[in-house]
Amino acid sequence: MIELAALLFFPGGLFVLLNGMAYEWVDRKLVARFQNRVGPRWFQPLADNVKLLVNEEVIPENVDARLFITLPVVALAGVLTAALYVPIAGFDPAFSFEGDLIVTIYMLSLLTMATGLAGANTRDRFSLIGATRTLTQLFSYEAPFLLAFLAPAVVAGSWQISEINDYAGDHLWLILTQPIGAIVALLGLMGKLEIPPFDAPEAETEIVAGALTEYSGRGLALFHLGRNVELVAGITLLAAFYLGGISNPIEYVLKTLAVLFVLATVQTAVARLRIDQTVGVWWRYGVLLVLLQWLALIGAEVIF
Amino acid sequence: MTETEKFSIPIGPQHPALKEPEHFVFSVDGEMVTSASVRLGYAHRGIEKSTENRNWAQNLYLLERICGICSHTHALTYCLGVEKLAGVEIPPRANAIRTLVAEMERVHSHLLWLGVAAHEAGFDTLFMYSWRDRETIMDLLEQLTGNRVNYSANVLGGVKFDVDEELAGAILDGLDYLEKRTYHYLDVVTTDAAFLQRTRGVGVMSAERAERLGVVGPTARASSVARDVRIDAPYAGYDEYVPNLIGHTTGDLEARFEVRIKELFESYRLIREILATIPEGELTSRMPRRIKANEAFSRVEAPRGEVFYYLRSNGSDKPDRIKVRTPTLCNMASVLTLVIGQQLADIPMILVGVDPCFSCNDRMVAINRGGRSEEVWTWERLRQYGIDYYGGSH
Repeated sequence: MIELAALLFFPGGLFVLLNGMAYEWVDRKLVARFQNRVGPRWFQPLADNVKLLVNEEVIPENVDARLFITLPVVALAGVLTAALYVPIAGFDPAFSFEGDLIVTIYMLSLLTMATGLAGANTRDRFSLIGATRTLTQLFSYEAPFLLAFLAPAVVAGSWQISEINDYAGDHLWLILTQPIGAIVALLGLMGKLEIPPFDAPEAETEIVAGALTEYSGRGLALFHLGRNVELVAGITLLAAFYLGGISNPIEYVLKTLAVLFVLATVQTAVARLRIDQTVGVWWRYGVLLVLLQWLALIGAEVIF
Repeated sequence: MTETEKFSIPIGPQHPALKEPEHFVFSVDGEMVTSASVRLGYAHRGIEKSTENRNWAQNLYLLERICGICSHTHALTYCLGVEKLAGVEIPPRANAIRTLVAEMERVHSHLLWLGVAAHEAGFDTLFMYSWRDRETIMDLLEQLTGNRVNYSANVLGGVKFDVDEELAGAILDGLDYLEKRTYHYLDVVTTDAAFLQRTRGVGVMSAERAERLGVVGPTARASSVARDVRIDAPYAGYDEYVPNLIGHTTGDLEARFEVRIKELFESYRLIREILATIPEGELTSRMPRRIKANEAFSRVEAPRGEVFYYLRSNGSDKPDRIKVRTPTLCNMASVLTLVIGQQLADIPMILVGVDPCFSCNDRMVAINRGGRSEEVWTWERLRQYGIDYYGGSH
């Protein structure tokens, strides 16, 4: 019974969805203020999603209708599952087992995979190019992103998120001991969320809305919600690993908002990268940096 | 996919990158553009024909509405042409005020362009800031003429609005602020590493190609083609207030950014000079209502390049023929050749790099391919054709 409640209401399910929409608002509002705009009202993300859920969902011709309908559900389910394993709101993760870090990161990628498939499923040219870019981008940031999250796991001696969280809480903040890993993890998260400068897959001025161009109504709402949940799960994971762990709700709010603030600042300050430049940045610098971090780690392990 | 099958991307007539309807088709190989074509004419409004049913004074207001951004340019070009036809001299103060408004318009147009171009590169922060600062000059234009766009500052034979001490002070204050901001923007577009990745070496046009394609305006000047009507054939007050030609040699997108931003400083200098030395005197000369049969042309350097008007009078109070050519038409060919070999992601920036204004450039062009006879349809026949074409069911 308690497990079901954890799944549906808190800390999983409903709470993460609301939290995701709240953080989307914070992000949008911050970016708007940085850009000298007024920004949306606090309930705007909720209103957007309610409106989309009410709207008719148009299924275009020449698509596999079952896939078209299922993909948004899979995407949202994937990230909601991922959220169950991270310390949402500063409480222990709803579910936990040895090695759940790998499962969580895999589940977070499910959204990107689903987005790519959704684009490839439709016959729209913008969607096809968007899908290609989404998947290209996935392959460029995924390895460094994973390595950046595995480094704290190695020093903590466990691949269980709750244990790494406890370790991070007891020791010097890992952002100080592993600064490169923290930066790569943050940038990888931005790539995952497709926010500037890594928003080539949905570059409005080139390919309209990228892979999701043909989506409307319910499907689009579910993808949006999935993105929101991914934002929450991602920054919670980042804060738990690199910002000294999350052990209570106050810490959770402060640390995740701090990460969100940095995210909003970076995305305000940069122009969009072309997809070839994105790949170049990740394979030329991202991978090298994170490998350097690993070498330093291994060196430290050997010496001490 | 076989080699003969092309994957083509349609951009427009409705597309988020375009604020006006125009249709482009780009063939791509992966992300690489292999060919490009354009279809113009979605916003053809029949303005040239309409001018023949209006008198000289009414046409001023019609032609001013060809372009929402360089409206003063069109009104000015028309006025210059009509005044040449009628042989009317303009008072020096009116000429100075015309030049003043033209330069203020250039400031607002270049700032607007800066924002749009930044948006195409996904740099929305620069977009928002440059448009915020553009409000300064918009407010000043409103104070001067009562309108933010379509200022209607010209009348045939002079100008409507005068500049007093108070307004001159407000303009100078606004310029001080804008100048400070413009230095910042110049710094951003020439040093921001992420932004330079999108502009440096992209869409490079050599001087030879620019000459061959007949490119005009800042786009040409960025490719080291010295072409500026204000200098080559001074009109209005430009023989007294001489702008310096801002050029660049690299011909890439970065050069187009730099040229336009540096032209802003030139405009600020000219506006200050005009306000400091504006001659006293009348605002208008007397204009005849009818103009004897004659023909004339006039050229004005719009923010985007050369605007060309051809006018023919027939002795009545209405023009016999007016022909308009806007700079976008001259620059369009460069877009189609520059995008080939570039990335798909560079298309919007190269397109916007010439500062296109599609609705202004949509004219009817008759191409005589030889062998086909020319014929003129009557209104009734055209109407019947339309009814038959659409099935006559309405």
